[in-house]
Amino acid sequence: MELLDNLGVDGPKLIAQLINFGIVLFVLWWFAYKPVLEMLENRRQKIAKSMDEAEQIKAELAETQAERDKVMAEANAKAEKLIADAKEAAKQVGEAEGQRAVKQAEEIIRKAREATEADREKMMAELKAEIGRLVVETTAKVSGKVLTAEDQQRLIDETNKELAA
Amino acid sequence: MDADRVRQAVRLLIEKKPRGYHGILQHLQRLVKLDEASRSARVESAVALTEAQQQSVRESLVRLKGGEVTVEFAENAGLIGGMRVKVGDDVFDGSVKTRLASLSDSF
Repeated sequence: MELLDNLGVDGPKLIAQLINFGIVLFVLWWFAYKPVLEMLENRRQKIAKSMDEAEQIKAELAETQAERDKVMAEANAKAEKLIADAKEAAKQVGEAEGQRAVKQAEEIIRKAREATEADREKMMAELKAEIGRLVVETTAKVSGKVLTAEDQQRLIDETNKELAA
Repeated sequence: MDADRVRQAVRLLIEKKPRGYHGILQHLQRLVKLDEASRSARVESAVALTEAQQQSVRESLVRLKGGEVTVEFAENAGLIGGMRVKVGDDVFDGSVKTRLASLSDSF
């Protein structure tokens, strides 16, 4: 105490000041510092939450992107397969059509050849018949004149032999 | 067919007049006609046959039918050459006309 006195410190006053300071400190802590800390804590939590949410959103976005990429890749693959199938089908149809056209052309050529051959044969038959008719007609006209008595005799004998046989 | 036997059969039918004798007579008449036709021959030739040829044809026909045959000879210039014999339903055609017709058909 003596020391404090020597230093000019009044004990009760000091105590009073200490109490006052404590009260002020308490009031400040209670009414100012604590709400500010709470506010800061809340803000920190909010920021942290926001950051978490942002991270989650980012992850979800990445996942969605990946999913979308996957779906797009699948869709592309399917589309390419469809296009390839369509091309193949078109190629096959084209080949079939080509083969059919070739077959039809061959059939037409074959029929034309047959018709030509039939016409030729018909013409030849008509020609042959006409030549035959002319030959027979001419022969009939001249044979009566050129047949001698011996010829007539021989022809009659032939028939007579046929009768006797 | 024996002519005497046919006459005898006809006479008997007319005398006795059995049931249906009219039909029998008609049938007999048809048979006689067929027999007569089968024993009738017509010989056509482009030129007239000589007596020897006619005799030869007669003999051939008699041998063919195995009995008497009535033969009629005729000249047909349309035959051009050769001879055509029709006896009953049979025809022996060696005429040039028929040969030419066959030739024509072959074309």
